[in-house]
Amino acid sequence: MSGAETVRDSPLARRNPTVKLAVLFLASVALLFVLDPVTPSVVYLLGLIGVIVGGRLPLRTVLAAQLPFLAFAVGVFSINVLSRPGTVVWQEGPLRVTVDGLIVGAALAVRTLAIGILSIGFVLTTDSLALMTSLHQNAHLGARPSYALMAGYRLLQQLPGEWTAIRDAQAVRAPLRRNGSVHRTPASFGRAAFTLLVLAIRRGERMAQSLESRGLGLQPRTVWNPVRVGSLDVVFGASIVAGLGVVIGIAGLLGVLRGPGALF
Amino acid sequence: MRAPGRSTPLLSDVSLHLGAGERMLVLGPSGSGKSSLLQVLTGVIPFSQNLALEGAVHLGGVDATELPVIERSRRLGVVAQDPAAAVCLARVDQEVALPLENHGVDRSEISGRIDDALGLAGAGDLRERATGGLSGGEVQRVALAAALAARPAVLLLDEPTSMLDPAGVRAVRAAVDGVVERGESAVLMVEHRLDELAGARGPRGLPEHAVVLDGEGRMLAAGPTVQVLAENAARLHDAGCWLPLESELLAVVGHPGGLQAEPVREWLRERPTGEPQTAGTPQIDPPAAALGEPLLSARSLQVGHPSPGGRSARRRRPLAPPVLAGVDLDLRAGEVVALLGSNGSGKTSLLLTLAGLLPAQAGAVIGARPSMVFQYPELQFVGHRVRDEIAFGLTGSGSEVAQVVDRQLRLHRLEHVADRDPYRLSGGEKRRLSLAAMLAHVDRRVLLADEPTFGLDRRDTVATADVLRGEAAQGRAVLFSSHDLRFVATVADRVIVLADGRKAAEGETTAVLRDASVVQRAGLELPALVAWVLAEFDDVDAVRALRRLSAASAPQEPPAGSGGPRRATPSPAEVSR
Repeated sequence: MSGAETVRDSPLARRNPTVKLAVLFLASVALLFVLDPVTPSVVYLLGLIGVIVGGRLPLRTVLAAQLPFLAFAVGVFSINVLSRPGTVVWQEGPLRVTVDGLIVGAALAVRTLAIGILSIGFVLTTDSLALMTSLHQNAHLGARPSYALMAGYRLLQQLPGEWTAIRDAQAVRAPLRRNGSVHRTPASFGRAAFTLLVLAIRRGERMAQSLESRGLGLQPRTVWNPVRVGSLDVVFGASIVAGLGVVIGIAGLLGVLRGPGALF
Repeated sequence: MRAPGRSTPLLSDVSLHLGAGERMLVLGPSGSGKSSLLQVLTGVIPFSQNLALEGAVHLGGVDATELPVIERSRRLGVVAQDPAAAVCLARVDQEVALPLENHGVDRSEISGRIDDALGLAGAGDLRERATGGLSGGEVQRVALAAALAARPAVLLLDEPTSMLDPAGVRAVRAAVDGVVERGESAVLMVEHRLDELAGARGPRGLPEHAVVLDGEGRMLAAGPTVQVLAENAARLHDAGCWLPLESELLAVVGHPGGLQAEPVREWLRERPTGEPQTAGTPQIDPPAAALGEPLLSARSLQVGHPSPGGRSARRRRPLAPPVLAGVDLDLRAGEVVALLGSNGSGKTSLLLTLAGLLPAQAGAVIGARPSMVFQYPELQFVGHRVRDEIAFGLTGSGSEVAQVVDRQLRLHRLEHVADRDPYRLSGGEKRRLSLAAMLAHVDRRVLLADEPTFGLDRRDTVATADVLRGEAAQGRAVLFSSHDLRFVATVADRVIVLADGRKAAEGETTAVLRDASVVQRAGLELPALVAWVLAEFDDVDAVRALRRLSAASAPQEPPAGSGGPRRATPSPAEVSR
């Protein structure tokens, strides 16, 4: 089911959104208990390859989407390196770097990136409306919250156009700069934002009324196009979870795996 | 129905009865509570809006007064006034499927029912479309289809044609007739575009029953539409309602029969020479006599939206395809020019470019900064009081500004709402405020207006016409876009027609409107009145007749034999039969 936003067709994009969300959740929880730098690095690399190949996404897009995660990872790494007690490898005035700090910091940082790449894979290959439909049908999220969110999503889609229209309409009477362009002050921004807010609230109210007047919330209801969990979705979910298990298992056998004990 | 803290009710003494397979029209001036009446029936009032309600609503013989909106939805199909808010999902087929799913229609039937409903609404070709890319008219058809889909016992339509072209209005009429003929539904509708809705049959083509609300929300009359219109034409006309042409002529001339009746024709031919005219009657300016220097010009103008990606990207990326190319035009002091074209022909984009709000893709706009009012006046509002709204952007000392504000309040009849919140005004007052605030900038000699009469009742449309003519008479140049050819023929000296991405025609209004092929290319149809005066009269007399009719009010005494003013007869039995 295609939404108005474009999600490129790909093997990952065709998977059931609820299954993808569940896999993402499981993998994130599992990684929370892994505290060595090697295991999450392997997960990250496999994830990166999987997202680029399975999601048919350009490397550039995927890397750009990781910038916020990278920034967070650098922060986590720096704090741990500089603040964790242990064997000192370098000291200069009040700054002090420990072995434990390096290891734990790297582990937490790479974990951030690993969870990040999996989340990016989910977001970039999932149509938000398909997700809502799937959550409603597969995860038994109620009809009213689901459709309210979908209507809210459409309201959100209309906002950029409304914003431009309001800015244009309010610029007509605004003073000009010396070069002839409209002088847009922070106050004018605030006024336009206020107008947008008023219009959005009113439209949201009317949308709610129109959903109600179409009987949203009546029982029993039917579903025209059920979103099914197909055998491919089951295979997909199971193999990702199994793959993660294998990675963690091998790491354990090789002795590189460390649990939360590494923190203490 | 009462608002908290207000002593006078917003609606009172309203009783109506709608039987299976019947159609009913709700008439009344702007602010009379037509939309509120529909919301009382859907349950939005009082369940979603804090208004006190007395009385009862029965649906299908069951007392529904205490039933909330969704329970009533089992029997009701609703098209609300703002169609943009009526379409909530991403795709047209999902949108129409939603009421079917909610009503528990069997899965296997849904696809066929979607086709049915879209077909009835004249929107069969939209099924696979994303709702985000639909035009206003298309959205309105989809909203109608969604209301029809569940085959409701009662269809409630609030101005379902406000954004439709003539073909779209025919589709609405066909849909209404279709569901009534199938014996499925009764239809209650609020509608302004009565001539187009009625089609060639005049008032007999309208829904067969009518109720009339007065300006205070009281029920003034109810009964068969033809009779209600005949007995109340003058009162409705003076209250500022839109009426079918035949009823409007009856109200003004005092003679039934419309354009076919000789006394009516006689009245239109009359040429009041010399004698002092009533205050509202505009004089005919001698054509092309008062034209001054060009105030705003466009040369080889190419109009289009900037490429996606914002300002910084604009230099590197190719421009989005132009909406219009090669446009040359001159606006001269003292003239009113109309911009015609079908939906999507680039009228709004051209106006924005001329106003300097949308950068020209190529070519030049020459002239001082123009002013502009928008289709939705609310987008322009920046003040929290009407008075502040007018003062916004004015330069000068405090007392000078106050003087200008007071003058504008007086000129545009806004003194009684000077301290109110602009958002809480009626549609006509909002339009007047947007004009008053814009025109307070006396240094802007060009006024651009995008659909300035959209959604207005007759009185406010006439008031807007007077403002546009008055500003031109004082040396401004006015360019406005419109779909309403009667308004255009009454107000504009010249028209510019946009079609196929360029300026397709330009010339004196009457000359262009006489050219059937141009009118058709602009996606328009001549209203019967305009067609008749153009066929019957020369250019000057045609415009004179149109202006005289627009400005005319009904004679003070009700026309002889009409039975005189009568109170409503709110007995349900009488109303339905």
